[in-house]
Amino acid sequence: MQIQLEKNFLNDFEKNQNIVHKICRIYTTNQDQHNDLFQEITIQIWKNYSKFRGESKFSTWMYRVSLNTAITLYRKSNRSIKTQDFSDVSFKIKAEDYDDTKDKQLKALYDGIRELNDIEKALIFLYLEDKPYKEIAKTLGISEVNARVKMNRSKEKLRKILNP
Amino acid sequence: MELDNYKTIWKNQPEEKNKLSALEIYKMTQSKSNSIVKWILIIGLLEFVFWFAVNYLGTKNGALDPFEKLNLINFIDNFNYFHYVVVVLFLLLFYRNFSLITTVDDTKKLMKNILLVRKTVKWYVYYNLINVVIFSVILNILIFNTPDGINILSGIENESFNQEHMRSVFIITQIVVIAVMILILWLFYYLLYGILLKKLNKNYKELTKLNEIS
Repeated sequence: MQIQLEKNFLNDFEKNQNIVHKICRIYTTNQDQHNDLFQEITIQIWKNYSKFRGESKFSTWMYRVSLNTAITLYRKSNRSIKTQDFSDVSFKIKAEDYDDTKDKQLKALYDGIRELNDIEKALIFLYLEDKPYKEIAKTLGISEVNARVKMNRSKEKLRKILNP
Repeated sequence: MELDNYKTIWKNQPEEKNKLSALEIYKMTQSKSNSIVKWILIIGLLEFVFWFAVNYLGTKNGALDPFEKLNLINFIDNFNYFHYVVVVLFLLLFYRNFSLITTVDDTKKLMKNILLVRKTVKWYVYYNLINVVIFSVILNILIFNTPDGINILSGIENESFNQEHMRSVFIITQIVVIAVMILILWLFYYLLYGILLKKLNKNYKELTKLNEIS
């Protein structure tokens, strides 16, 4: 029973780990913090995996637990001085579709999102991931109207950061 | 460039280069959590142990011997029984509120439940402080109503001491000790939880800010 649960978890998590990496990238500023947050999210998802009943898609459930961990549970460690900042690391892009402009724009987008507060980050992230307002409101525990108002403000703030 | 264009870029972003294998993920699940929830649990339990120890050691270390002479032991015993019942109730409440915390809940509810645990501990600390003050006040009244109470308690049996003077010194010393203790504790808790919950409080405010409007 336990082994089957572990197998399912590893399978689900491995397939969807990109979601967690993206969240780690917007909520942290260097590789050490990224790894710390990734580890905490992994622990939280595994700890609660037996409660996942499959009522929603695993990825939807994963968004919620991951964002909750990043916003609420995660404490930034101070062991970050020695490591490289993300800004120095450019994303590795596959050779065939390499496009320098796109690379720079993606980096600018990440940098812009990092300037937002924790709640705005979550809103923008869910917007970029194409989540409907109903799901965004449910994930954060606020009303749909409230989610829309907050989203518009967050988008406006990000727009100003990206196009000064 | 509009945000919708950025959305396209976001969607086409390359896959993470440092992808983890199933084995690496498995190893991670076996490591220890370092979340604020864990720290709140540890600190909360330490506070229970601390106050319990203060009370227990106070009664076991002979600190009460002089009170025996004043026939106050019964009062102190009853006070302690009452205290232990309250501690157990607080512990049950602490456990109940703590078990409500789950990252499966929505963000607002999760934050609310964490703050509830913090509140439980806060009330427990308040209760202990109030307990100390009330206990001291009642005790003082009883001591002052006992002839030679202060002399018996302080171990000085010389009649030549000025009773009035002793009484003032006794009261002032107690007030100063209690005030300093409360100040130190308040500062300690303020710093401890202030640091731990700074981010959470900020995010909770941010999330609930517009609730009144909609």
